[in-house]
Amino acid sequence: MTSVILIDWLEAILRWSAPLIICSIGEVYAERSGIINMGIEGIMLCGALCGVAVCYYANSQVAALLACLVLGAVLGLVVAFLTVSRRTNQVVTGLMVNMLATGGTEIVFSMMAATRHNRATTFSPLFPEAMQQIPFIGKIVFAQPWSTWVAFILPFIAGFILYKTRWGLNVRAIGDNPQAAETAGISVIKVKYQTVILSGIFACLAGGVLTLASSGYFAAGGMVNGRGFIVMAAVVVGGWDPIKTMLVCVLFGAADAAQLRLQTIGSAIPNQFLQMLPYVITIIALTIMVKRSRVPKTWGAAYDGRKD
Amino acid sequence: MDNKAYALKMQGITKRFPGTLANDHITIECEHGKVLGLLGENGAGKTTLMNILYGLFRPDEGQIFIDGEEVEIQSPSDAINHGIGMVHQHFKLVDTLTVIENVVLGLPTMKQVLDLAPAKEKLLKLCHEYELFVDPDAEVWRLPVGQQQWVEILKALYRDCKVLVLDEPTAVLTPSESNNLCRAISKITAQGKSVIFISHKLREVMEITDNVTVLRDGKVIGTIATKDATQLKLAEMMVGRAVEIERRPRAKVPADSEPVLVMKDVNVYDERGVHALKNFNLTVHAGEIVGVAGIDGNGQRELAECISGLIKPQSGTIEIKGKPVTGVISDPSFLGFIPEDRHKTGLVLDFTVAENLIIKEYMKAPFAKKGILQYKEIGSHANEMIDKFHVKTSSKDVAVKTLSGGNQQKVVIARELNPEPILDIASQPTRGLDLGAVMGVHDVLMQERERGAAVLFISAELQEVMALSDRIIVLYSGENMGDLDGDTADQAVIGQMMLGKRI
Amino acid sequence: MGEKKTLNLPLIGNIILTKGHSVLGIILGIIAGGILILISGVNPFDAYGAMLRGAFRNWASFTNVLVRSSPLLLGGIGVAIGIKSGLWNTGIEGFMYLGGIGAAIVSTMNLGLPPVLYVLLCFLVGMLFAGVWGAIPGYLKAYRGVNEVTCTIMMNYIAVYLTNWIVTSTPIAQPEAFYPMSLPFAQATYLPILTQGTSLHIGPFIGIVVCLVFYFLLKYTSFGFRTRMLGYNPIAARYAGVNSKRQMVIIMVIGAMLGGLAGTIECIGLRHRLYMEYVTNVGYESVAVALVAGGNPIGVLVSALFFSILKAGGATMAIETGVSSSMSSIIIALCVLFVVGVGVADEKSASARKRKAKAAAAAKKEVAE
Repeated sequence: MTSVILIDWLEAILRWSAPLIICSIGEVYAERSGIINMGIEGIMLCGALCGVAVCYYANSQVAALLACLVLGAVLGLVVAFLTVSRRTNQVVTGLMVNMLATGGTEIVFSMMAATRHNRATTFSPLFPEAMQQIPFIGKIVFAQPWSTWVAFILPFIAGFILYKTRWGLNVRAIGDNPQAAETAGISVIKVKYQTVILSGIFACLAGGVLTLASSGYFAAGGMVNGRGFIVMAAVVVGGWDPIKTMLVCVLFGAADAAQLRLQTIGSAIPNQFLQMLPYVITIIALTIMVKRSRVPKTWGAAYDGRKD
Repeated sequence: MDNKAYALKMQGITKRFPGTLANDHITIECEHGKVLGLLGENGAGKTTLMNILYGLFRPDEGQIFIDGEEVEIQSPSDAINHGIGMVHQHFKLVDTLTVIENVVLGLPTMKQVLDLAPAKEKLLKLCHEYELFVDPDAEVWRLPVGQQQWVEILKALYRDCKVLVLDEPTAVLTPSESNNLCRAISKITAQGKSVIFISHKLREVMEITDNVTVLRDGKVIGTIATKDATQLKLAEMMVGRAVEIERRPRAKVPADSEPVLVMKDVNVYDERGVHALKNFNLTVHAGEIVGVAGIDGNGQRELAECISGLIKPQSGTIEIKGKPVTGVISDPSFLGFIPEDRHKTGLVLDFTVAENLIIKEYMKAPFAKKGILQYKEIGSHANEMIDKFHVKTSSKDVAVKTLSGGNQQKVVIARELNPEPILDIASQPTRGLDLGAVMGVHDVLMQERERGAAVLFISAELQEVMALSDRIIVLYSGENMGDLDGDTADQAVIGQMMLGKRI
Repeated sequence: MGEKKTLNLPLIGNIILTKGHSVLGIILGIIAGGILILISGVNPFDAYGAMLRGAFRNWASFTNVLVRSSPLLLGGIGVAIGIKSGLWNTGIEGFMYLGGIGAAIVSTMNLGLPPVLYVLLCFLVGMLFAGVWGAIPGYLKAYRGVNEVTCTIMMNYIAVYLTNWIVTSTPIAQPEAFYPMSLPFAQATYLPILTQGTSLHIGPFIGIVVCLVFYFLLKYTSFGFRTRMLGYNPIAARYAGVNSKRQMVIIMVIGAMLGGLAGTIECIGLRHRLYMEYVTNVGYESVAVALVAGGNPIGVLVSALFFSILKAGGATMAIETGVSSSMSSIIIALCVLFVVGVGVADEKSASARKRKAKAAAAAKKEVAE
């Protein structure tokens, strides 16, 4: 009995962490270059709807993901234009993008009655079904949709790009000292646009994975439920490192998965307190970790290229 | 004359900023393998000119020739491509990256996937060639300031620059490091590269350069061969008058004068854990100016901040008139503190002049009664201070950020010294001010001495320390190197102590 | 003469002059909203006409605007005072829930107090609950360096679930309710209704008074001086002897108490019960209100009323023209984005130009292009 629950939980951890991890990758890049994209919550929401809708109407997962990619890039471009070119406050910009996304998805969703009752086809497992028969591991690992596999490989690629490539070096330099990067001949504005657009793309894809890797349904409003903000916390706790951030995302995913499992086995603790778990853990993790991590020096500050 | 003779020629460069003419038809010429000195006071237009050369600003008029060919420089990468290397006064290094990462940053020749090994090899070769040694794998913030400058220079050399611009390079160097730099410069020129050496220190310009161009108020005053120049002549060109800061005449401090500031065995570690003040002892008496000489970054900031209570020493005692310092001192009749950085600590730039004059006393009568601000009192106080300290401002109600640097400093001085504190700390109070404003600050400090205040005067400019102090102490890497009498102190001796020699 | 000038209350015209970019931003936001309405297949002039009718048709419809402005006024001030001192208070939603919980606990107990006292007690408890809640992110920000935005948003979610628990599984929950809610409140706690037949309670006027009080507080008291100093230059404030950490906690707690008051007023003024998830978007709308107002309490007054017109009118617009009622929050978000988008960069270059000719504006921009 307990082993069934344990297996179920572990399986759910991986499944729930995947969208968080995907989203975190773009956010790591954006924040490393100095821009906090707070809009990822809303962009994720858009991605969740976009994924389901395109997948249902076009009946193609590839089309759905491509649509998420394009939508994410467009939304990222909007955030980039405001925060980089117009140097708007990043908190306000993000919150308002979230508000736009909440309202926008509600309207669009209400116009697509069919997706309410019909599931979009969800992602299939990467490995043949036979492998799920392997005891313990089979259910946990090999039943995962292919998106989970991608999510856990991505951070390593992202880490390699950040630490071992020219572009990654530029990103790291810009977040810490944009003036220095500018005098070294790097176009600060261009790289910031690139990272913020990437954060939009990954957030949107994460939204698509959120729905297409699990239920295939979209639910207006509460769909993303603060996951974007949790990702932002995870990036801070993870010290702006893709791989550490991935581990933190798994921790938060575990809390999320645990509350669902505990609800079903009827624990003595009221459901609502279990539902608080991911958020409480986020705050605790932030409190413990925040002083240990080295913040990108221009984190959250607008870069005014004209300043001497 | 044929432009080909010059490695770099900037001709007729004019740059207007709203309200000022920063560069007015400036022409400079730098020959192959020679060092051109660019001399001028702060605000003379040196930095603007170099920013134009480096593509950070675009000139309104004028041309730039490199090896006789006219070039257009629109961005730093253009400048780099044309073989211009620049070491800015404020280093343009990314602290958190390693030396080698900083060196290859922005290099278009690097492959997309970084391979640092050959780059390191090339860098080490350069290190040996110019005897500027740094560890390629060290993170920049861990390096001492001098080595950070080596990184900047090596970065330019790595890009195979033909003209290297050094903007006030010695401001942050110890004398032995300065010697290293001189040696490196002569090696650089020996290879046919040219160097533009920007400074306002005459002695160095005399030693290092081949030709000197002097700027004043955005104009070229003249260009002469260094061998034909004298310090006095250059100084006159630079400021239009003699600059020697005379020692102020004064009566002797009475022997029974009461000790005001007493520091015993104070140890301070800065935020990075560096031991910034080491077993520091100091006594300042009433009616006495104690000057603190030393190269910037040897514990001066920590000294000022621990006395004013902004940072806590890890051990030792600090007492002002017998009272131990435990927290931030905001009692203006007790301590007047002119901080090192006006903009960051001394002023709230968006507040008005009147508001800035009361930021320490806004809670007290007569400026506030029962928590309500008394704007009438605040206003009349402001007008009084503006008159008394000759602050040039259109009104007490304009934001202090609209004032000139000298007048901003006057606002700080008015606020800090008007309540007649028993102890004054003036930390680099003349930095960035023009000569007239500097003299004004010196006058104020002498008046404070006459009034009977104990004055601790911290400055990196040895000349002004010698002109003002009754006693001089020298800070070297957080240690008090010794106490000298201001009347008899010898510049050469102090210079030795600034390098860490105990005399 | 100088003294007289500082005592002048700014007039609306004055605000429009100094806040030109806010007005421009709002106009652009409304135009962009109109384009979206057009895309959704409705004539934007019809839609906006319906919106205006919904807000101004008669006194009854205008009371609707006022009622909706109540939480925005209080929440807006709560955020604005944070902006003035350099803190982002994004936790108004959570604070409102806590205020609602406080009010619910007191007013379902039927203490039999006279109405005035009972209402005051509700205010007090609601503000106390929210204040304690707000002290947590305040403390974490000031003493542990935890980013207040992330922290308050996380706490919003926690507050939502806390409320859900209270209205489903505690003694004050309504048993067998069709939607989770608390027991009905005692009659004595109901805020007085000002116009019969409408739901206009005194809440909006409390909000307006609070705006005026905070305007005075920020400008004419040493507390306000300290707050502004902290917002403009925290280092100088510390050096002038301000205990900036304590001040941060105080500001956060004040913001939280205002949010709590807003929640209490919503519950005892309008709904007379505590409902699950009864706060919809008001937390972020408060940020919008404060931001468009530039942190100025008088500005909060104007922008809260403006956004309430959009929200109250938006409901009518939805009914009459079929445009989704979510459109009003979209328009609000668009307005804010345009306000900040139009404003920030220009403001900065203007002050830079003034500050020092050397700071060099135009030249670098050319380079960037």
